[in-house]
Amino acid sequence: MTELAQGARLPERTFGPVTMTDIVRYQGASGDMNPMHHDDELARSVGYPASFSAGMLGAGWLAAYCTDHFGEESVRRFRTRFTQVVYRGDRLIASAEVVRLFEHDNERRLELAIQLRKDDGALVVDGSAEFALT
Amino acid sequence: MAIMPIEWGKVREYANATAAARPAYLDDPNAPIPPTFLATVIYWSRIGDTVRAPEVAEACATVGIEPDVRNLLSLEQEYFFHGPIPRAGETLHNSERLYDVRIKQGRQGPMVLVRFLVSFHDDQGLLRAECRYTSAYVHKEAS
Repeated sequence: MTELAQGARLPERTFGPVTMTDIVRYQGASGDMNPMHHDDELARSVGYPASFSAGMLGAGWLAAYCTDHFGEESVRRFRTRFTQVVYRGDRLIASAEVVRLFEHDNERRLELAIQLRKDDGALVVDGSAEFALT
Repeated sequence: MAIMPIEWGKVREYANATAAARPAYLDDPNAPIPPTFLATVIYWSRIGDTVRAPEVAEACATVGIEPDVRNLLSLEQEYFFHGPIPRAGETLHNSERLYDVRIKQGRQGPMVLVRFLVSFHDDQGLLRAECRYTSAYVHKEAS
């Protein structure tokens, strides 16, 4: 792992273009079978242009992005806020910035600001996470 | 409390669905769970029962929103982990508590914000993880 200081940014990672397969595979894995994520007719009936991705799929991608850097056992807190819906065909870019380094429960921790954006810059998932450093 | 056994195959499936390709997730019979894996608790419990609580229905009625799945948006989830990360082979015990219902003015009119907490304890009774959910009923009219 590279030395990380406050303000350091992780290399970005791209996900997508989002497909119906990505969405239904996540829905099956997570158990969230909300039809708004795969039933276009239902979504259109309440004013959306099409069904839209599950927010937690974006959160899961951000989680994978983080654990690739910090390992699987170091997560202490992981928050994701869904700011905009994602449609099929969207390309998403994960990024993270080190907000602070601190001590807690006798371990060295790092707080990250994490974001998932569409390739036109629109923010879709905004989050914050803490990982222990070993 | 409801039980949630953590299974290796389920961890592998969830990791694959979120592009988490690390060998620890895929090849370890005692795989650690990915940070958002506890979302799968809905296979074991009717998580979100609290979004159908009477006080939520009351708040929705106040602003004329139908508390229906088509109007329900998940806005935020925040996971906290205490002690070692749960692993395949362990069994967790979960419970849910509604802790906040409020009406808020959003960009597209009023919404009813609902916050609830799901706690996960292990067989020894130790708190291992928590998830704070924020969901909202919004007024979404056909255009």
